[in-house]
Amino acid sequence: MELTWYVLLGLFFGTYLVLGGYDYGVGLSLARNGDPGRRRAALNAVGPFFLGNEVWLVAAVGILFGAFPVLEGELLSGFYPAVLVALAGVILVTAGVQLRSRPSHERVRARWDRVVVVGSALAALGWGALLAGLLQGVPRDADGHIVGLTHLVTPFAAAAGLAMVALVAAHGATFLTLRLPAADADRAGRLARRLLPVALAAVGVATVVGLLSERVRATAQQPLAGVLLPALLVTALLVARAALARGRPGVAFTATAATLALPVALVGATLWPYVLVSTTDPSASLTVADAAASTPTLRLLGWLALPLMPALLGFQLMCWWVFRGRTDGRAPVYW
Amino acid sequence: MDTLLLARLQFATTTSIHFLFVIVTLGLVTLLVGLQTAWVITGNPKYERLTRFWGQLYVINYVLGIATGIVMEFQFGLNWSGLSRYVGNVFGAPLAIETLVAFFLESTFLGMWIFGWHRLRRGVHLALLWGVALTAYASAFWILVANAWLQNPVGYEVRDGVAHLTDFSALLTNPTLGMAFGHVVSAALLVGGVLMAAVSAGHLIRRTTDHALHRTALRIGLVTAALSITLVQGFGFAQFAPVGSVQPTKFGGGGDEAQAMIAEWTARFGPGDYTPPVLASAGLGFMIMIGFTLGALWLLVPLLWRDWIIRLRFPLWLLLLALPLPFVAAILGWIAREVGRQPWVAYGLLPVDQAVSPVGAPAMLTSLIGFSLLLGTLAVTNWVLIARHAARGAQDPGLGRPPGQPLDLRTEPTFA
Ligand code: HDD
Ligand code: HEM
Ligand code: HEM
Repeated sequence: MELTWYVLLGLFFGTYLVLGGYDYGVGLSLARNGDPGRRRAALNAVGPFFLGNEVWLVAAVGILFGAFPVLEGELLSGFYPAVLVALAGVILVTAGVQLRSRPSHERVRARWDRVVVVGSALAALGWGALLAGLLQGVPRDADGHIVGLTHLVTPFAAAAGLAMVALVAAHGATFLTLRLPAADADRAGRLARRLLPVALAAVGVATVVGLLSERVRATAQQPLAGVLLPALLVTALLVARAALARGRPGVAFTATAATLALPVALVGATLWPYVLVSTTDPSASLTVADAAASTPTLRLLGWLALPLMPALLGFQLMCWWVFRGRTDGRAPVYW
Repeated sequence: MDTLLLARLQFATTTSIHFLFVIVTLGLVTLLVGLQTAWVITGNPKYERLTRFWGQLYVINYVLGIATGIVMEFQFGLNWSGLSRYVGNVFGAPLAIETLVAFFLESTFLGMWIFGWHRLRRGVHLALLWGVALTAYASAFWILVANAWLQNPVGYEVRDGVAHLTDFSALLTNPTLGMAFGHVVSAALLVGGVLMAAVSAGHLIRRTTDHALHRTALRIGLVTAALSITLVQGFGFAQFAPVGSVQPTKFGGGGDEAQAMIAEWTARFGPGDYTPPVLASAGLGFMIMIGFTLGALWLLVPLLWRDWIIRLRFPLWLLLLALPLPFVAAILGWIAREVGRQPWVAYGLLPVDQAVSPVGAPAMLTSLIGFSLLLGTLAVTNWVLIARHAARGAQDPGLGRPPGQPLDLRTEPTFA
């Protein structure tokens, strides 16, 4: 039962990174786009999906709280700085995207767009650092508290944060290639083709820094997963680039989507059966089973929430289906 | 400054900001459901225009509801990790259910509603708004289930120092839940009604275009507000009985029951100050005062006859001036409820100092200042935008604009 909820947690957070990831990637692309009309078109390409994307984060934290209360407290308070950065980013993007078109002056809108750019970068940085923090283990004491906050400040966390920014940027540009009107998609495609090698380099650096780090090596419980999954990630990036070059944006988008889901799988698989590995006291490491809520709670959540999953997914699918295809003159413009 | 005080201040600040926005959401979405349903049934374009105009204000307001709500959700883990550690098995369940059952769908529906104008069939588009409204009420319900449990922990047993769920139905029949939910929901309707009446009054005072439109909205808003203030008062007074029976130390209740309870706590948790700050009672008193003042809304209802309310003009001014009152009352009510529960996070079960996260004061201070500034700035910006759009009038709201029409035709407000 714990495993089901653990997989569900990973699924929701991973889906958030995939869907929220292209929001942030599109957000970052505003930085390189001087033309107000094109900036607005990019945001409206995300348009109807935007609100439905970030709820995956809200739901992931809900699952975290309901099904893994102990982990919730430890994770969020133990990684305070990373969570603050990510949270601030999420809020800035949420407010920026939805409010930027409310004022009608282009100058004010441009200022909001800068807020979106900064927010997108912060969100990606924060989540990247958080995932890296899990991979490099935490100074958790026997009394179950994570001591101090400086454990997060490592080259690996920094490299992973930057890699996440690069991944998100490439993913967002690929999304625009798929979604903008055919006439504008070429530009986005060129941007994506330039960003993918950058992402590849950033992921490569993060992997190497991670493999060199004593702490990361000691933390990994399943070293095989720790090597295989980054390799898979690199492959996905190469596939995305090849697909873009052949004019297959759908395939490319699937591949970049995989690059954002894989880091979550990487953390889950490499640490299994633990969720928090202690660097100071091996007996203080927290297993998935220990982190989970007690059986009556899990059973209750199972009865109430699992039957609803098809409805949740169904309505998201309905949203994607109704607004599928490239944006065109008929699409309402709101953001 | 100690970490505990900072964490409490941060929770109070962010929740209060959150509540100022969600209370408008809950109230307005109810009125919008009425307006759009009227449009679909009667086909009268007046209701379409009202839906677009008020929908625009609603959607702008919603932005901060989400942004602050996300902060709320993370805050439990960031600042109150003891809460999840000791009572997470019970307290976490309603919050998890809420995010999955309510928020998840609410935002998905809203995104489709915003972008679905002129694209979806009318019935589907209306159904989406109904979905938004139902899930918004569901989310308020589950949040209050969680909060009611903190006020009066039920349906659990403590093993190894950790609370475990034994009876979920007890959470749903918690005496601190029912009347509180009624009170919160009617307070939200009151806020929605007063807001609609006040904005329309503003337009009618300035004699802007669309007299007929704003006249209709004024009538809807005023009648809603009058009906709901009565509900607010009813549910409000009805709360005293359950609060008195399960939380005898609240609101300066120094009676025998309170003394007995404090004696029991002293035996179990050691000596300490178990009386909540007087701030709770002060909040309660001022809220009730505002509640009675707003009862005077009923005096304006007869003036709807032959539009005397518009012709006399001063009632319009009264409505404008009344706008801040329900907001202030709502915050005072939460101060009464939450401060009155001190020094417990979960009443009689978990003291606040055990629930706070073991992070240092500097980190907590950074986060308090950071989030207060960030959310405060966003809140003010958001209100300015709402006010500007309200003042701009119903000529051409961005929401539901037919595609292909030149964008942003008019930038000047009809009154400033
Ligand atoms: C529009 C806002 C508003 C207005 C005019 C009133 N209230 Fe209220 N009140 C709230 C908004 C509110 C609230 C924000 O919604 C609270 C906070 C917690 C809750 O359940 O509702 C609240 C709490 C609250 C509580 C605390 C319950 C507890 O501690 O558990 C009591 C006893 C009352 N109210 C009673 C009243 C009475 C007797 C009123 C008027 C005659 C009144 N309220 C007007
Ligand atoms: C939205 C309306 C709410 C408002 C305005 C509000 C207000 C407050 C205030 C003023 C405090 C600080 C009290 C103090 O001085 O110690 C507080 C604390 C707290 N509230 Fe609420 N609250 C709201 C709803 C909730 C809900 C729904 C929950 C639970 C789901 C909750 C949980 C808490 C917790 C955990 C604390 C910190 C512990 C404490 O200081 O007692 N609040 N809230
Ligand atoms: C009685 C108090 C509360 C009520 C009535 C309430 C109601 C709502 C409503 C109606 C929304 C939808 C957005 C909006 O309307 O603008 C919302 C958003 C949100 N609230 Fe609250 N809330 C309360 C307190 C809390 C607390 C204590 C939490 C922390 C767990 C919380 C977490 C959230 C989150 C995460 C969102 C964003 C959801 C999204 O992305 O759609 N709320 N709240």
